[in-house]
Amino acid sequence: MTYADHRADHHSGPQTRDSWLEPDDRAQFDLVVNDQPVHVRAPARCTLADALRQQGLIGTRLGCEQGSCGACTVLLDGQPIRSCLTLAVQAEGCTLETVEQAPPSRELHALRRAFHQHGALQCGFCTSGFLMLAVGLLRDEPDATPERVREVLSANLCRCTGGVPILRAVLAAQQELTGGDR
Amino acid sequence: MTYSYIGASVERDDSPFLDGSACYVADVDREGQLYARVVRSPVAHARIVSVDVAEALAQPGVITVITAADVPDVRIPIRLPMAETPDTHKFLQPPLAREVVRYVGEPIAVVVAGDPYLAEDAAELVDLEFDELDVVNDVVSAACAGTTLVHPETGTNLVATVPLAFGEVEEAFARADIVLRDRLRVHRHTAVPMETRGLLAEVDQGTGVLTLWGAAKVKHFTRQALSGMLGIGRDRIRLVENHVGGGFGVRGEPYPEDYLIAFLALRLGRPVKWIEDRVEHFVATNHAREQEHDFEVAATADGRLLAFRDRAWCDQGAYVRSQGILPALLPALHMPGPYRWQAFSVETHGVLTHRTPVGTYRGPGMTEATFVRERMLDRLAHELRLDPADLRRRNLIESGQLPWSFKPTPITYESGDFPAGFERLLDQAGYADLREQRDARRARGECVGIGFAAYTEIGGIGPFEEARIVPRPDGGFVAHVGVGSLGQGVETVLAQIAAEKLGVPMEAVTIDHHDTSELADGFGAFASRATTLAGNALALAAEDLRGRAAAKLGVPSADVRLSGGQATAPSGASVPLADLGEGWGRFDKPHPSFSFGAALSLIAIDPGTGQVRVLRHLVLHDVGRAINPKLLRRQLAGAAAQGIGAAVLEELLYDEYGQPLSTLLADYRMPTVEELPDIEVIIEERPTPANPLGVKGGGESGMVGTPAAIANAVADALGAAAGARLWRLPLTPDRVRELLRPA
Repeated sequence: MTYADHRADHHSGPQTRDSWLEPDDRAQFDLVVNDQPVHVRAPARCTLADALRQQGLIGTRLGCEQGSCGACTVLLDGQPIRSCLTLAVQAEGCTLETVEQAPPSRELHALRRAFHQHGALQCGFCTSGFLMLAVGLLRDEPDATPERVREVLSANLCRCTGGVPILRAVLAAQQELTGGDR
Repeated sequence: MTYSYIGASVERDDSPFLDGSACYVADVDREGQLYARVVRSPVAHARIVSVDVAEALAQPGVITVITAADVPDVRIPIRLPMAETPDTHKFLQPPLAREVVRYVGEPIAVVVAGDPYLAEDAAELVDLEFDELDVVNDVVSAACAGTTLVHPETGTNLVATVPLAFGEVEEAFARADIVLRDRLRVHRHTAVPMETRGLLAEVDQGTGVLTLWGAAKVKHFTRQALSGMLGIGRDRIRLVENHVGGGFGVRGEPYPEDYLIAFLALRLGRPVKWIEDRVEHFVATNHAREQEHDFEVAATADGRLLAFRDRAWCDQGAYVRSQGILPALLPALHMPGPYRWQAFSVETHGVLTHRTPVGTYRGPGMTEATFVRERMLDRLAHELRLDPADLRRRNLIESGQLPWSFKPTPITYESGDFPAGFERLLDQAGYADLREQRDARRARGECVGIGFAAYTEIGGIGPFEEARIVPRPDGGFVAHVGVGSLGQGVETVLAQIAAEKLGVPMEAVTIDHHDTSELADGFGAFASRATTLAGNALALAAEDLRGRAAAKLGVPSADVRLSGGQATAPSGASVPLADLGEGWGRFDKPHPSFSFGAALSLIAIDPGTGQVRVLRHLVLHDVGRAINPKLLRRQLAGAAAQGIGAAVLEELLYDEYGQPLSTLLADYRMPTVEELPDIEVIIEERPTPANPLGVKGGGESGMVGTPAAIANAVADALGAAAGARLWRLPLTPDRVRELLRPA
């Protein structure tokens, strides 16, 4: 259904009127962010990234707001998503993980250390997104091959390091998490 | 206890980036802040018939909308005296377009609202009416008679001509056994840091001081520029640098928005915030590099270089911005490179087009010049049936010939060993083996090639930096410097220098580069100068403290030992460092320094798609002295990664009407880990006598030879006939496929 159809639909009958929100109508809903319940009041068109940032979770960065760079990657019910392309209301009732997670999941903990040790960041702007992308990958596919890790990491952009140090860091974290049997 | 940190690979503290607490300008908020959205020109050249803001102003939440009629007729000034000519002021940019728009993206109005979404909505409703005009979009013809003028009142599209001449060029060409001439073109591309620009301005109603967050690179100059444009004293403007998400030359110059956001905060008496979006970034933030060269080289039959002539047309875009004529000056200064020319003449022209203004991007001018010269040297080697390495070996300036000067040009090479560096690169690459591997792969039908490039790089540009070392109440020290951090780790490197010179542990030193109110002057972070200039200033500030201690202890300064927080005389008498007041140092550097580097690349072409894959890439640079080899390697590798993007992926394209075609990260393809090899970095350390620490810098060096080396490797893979037709970058699949077809 297109946006225009939605509008037509909305104006055609009173039944749908209650559930339809205008872009600036505020919605109220609950999220779980980093294991904490969070009550959000945000306009219907507010992106998840903006809603998180308004909660003080500034670690979710916005590099393009077009879904290309991946700096805003967070985990939604365990899956890495672009929070700039997700509306906050779409996350209603979902569990979110961001780079601020404290205490960090074992994947995030290992990745933070590996990023530090392998020079996987310089300016740090893309780092949150890469960390969350990698958490999702290592949790979902703990035995991902180096080729697979490389492929997944190419989803995000890093302008300072080019990305090879990030690949090295993620492979090191993977080795630590799998007990070094790879 | 002494501490030796200089030369040590100290790891930096990057925890704020790993736990998300790092604070970039978008993360700074002030009570009651408003949000600005810039309305930009959708056309490349037009007379502005009307700008109707009524509907925008009537939108909910909108506080004000300003146009050129609301701001004084001011211009953004040029930062470097070396980049200014008597004519450049005619082409400077007003913060908002006055009567005419000259590029897509030029600011026309600013909408301010209480919410960023509402500001963006309202900006769409500013009604613009234009009378469209012809556009200039070709650098070579831009300055020809009869072309549309970008600034008609000046009578020309030529901003400046940079002439450089050395030796008897005509005579050298007359003696040549071989002369080669061709056109070579470098494309428009730019830095594209992951964080877009952003600003937040607030006026303290008590003191009247204007604070601008979001500064970078050249904070003190931007303060000076704003002081002049806003008509308020420098002491009433404070620029604050937050964490910075990459700069690479484009961030932190004074832009129209720096003025506009400060102006609005002063006018409205409320904090005003502006965060550039990515589409804006691609049209508003400086572009770089586009230029075409007509290059002619003369040599003897045995491969001795005699002379070259270069005429070039370098795009400045629609206005001359804060970096003045650097787009034309820097290629000229780098065209001779590391070779023993008997003569040369260079004439570069900075020309105007109806496109986003051009500034500097990592390795400015040198990257373009290196591509032009090194491509032609490979062509020459091929014509002379010489190995391209041998051609360079025969012509590199020998170490015994340094210092070398191309007088009367300002090009002087003071130190280094170019042939040794070049051989080291070939050794490390295993050049002989690499050639055998290449030939074996070719025999199997693969399309592979080897290419390299040698270059010189200007760095350590002055005029000076100051540093203040101030005791902290806890017994440590704060060192205030005027350079900036763009994510490269300069805080760590400067702390290493300060701590070693003070004889204290690194934990006892904090480097403060965040605030213009803490240091009277500063020139910033560009031209690979931060470590050289601020590092030496810090060393001098530590010397100042030693001198004070010597006076107290009644001994010569040279006899005082600084260690463990004490200044101690040979007698054992000592005074605590913290009791000596502030240490102050100023390092003057009247002349920039040139350093040597080289790059080597092994590539493969997919004959089906034309895609170039970089299999191995090595960069070598003589950094003088590596203060922190680990962080330095990362700079060189990161710059090389950008150079690979520049060579095979990235391009800012325009159509014939001056409409930009690359305004999304989906259009402007930057390399990811899928496209990049593990870059091999070789650090040469041949200290320069030009500063006490001996450093030459290295923040840009990995870039400089990279596109040239890749282009030469692609030409090598294509073979003699097709390779000779490789005259332009980037080597995107479509261009490579064109070269793969028989001519």
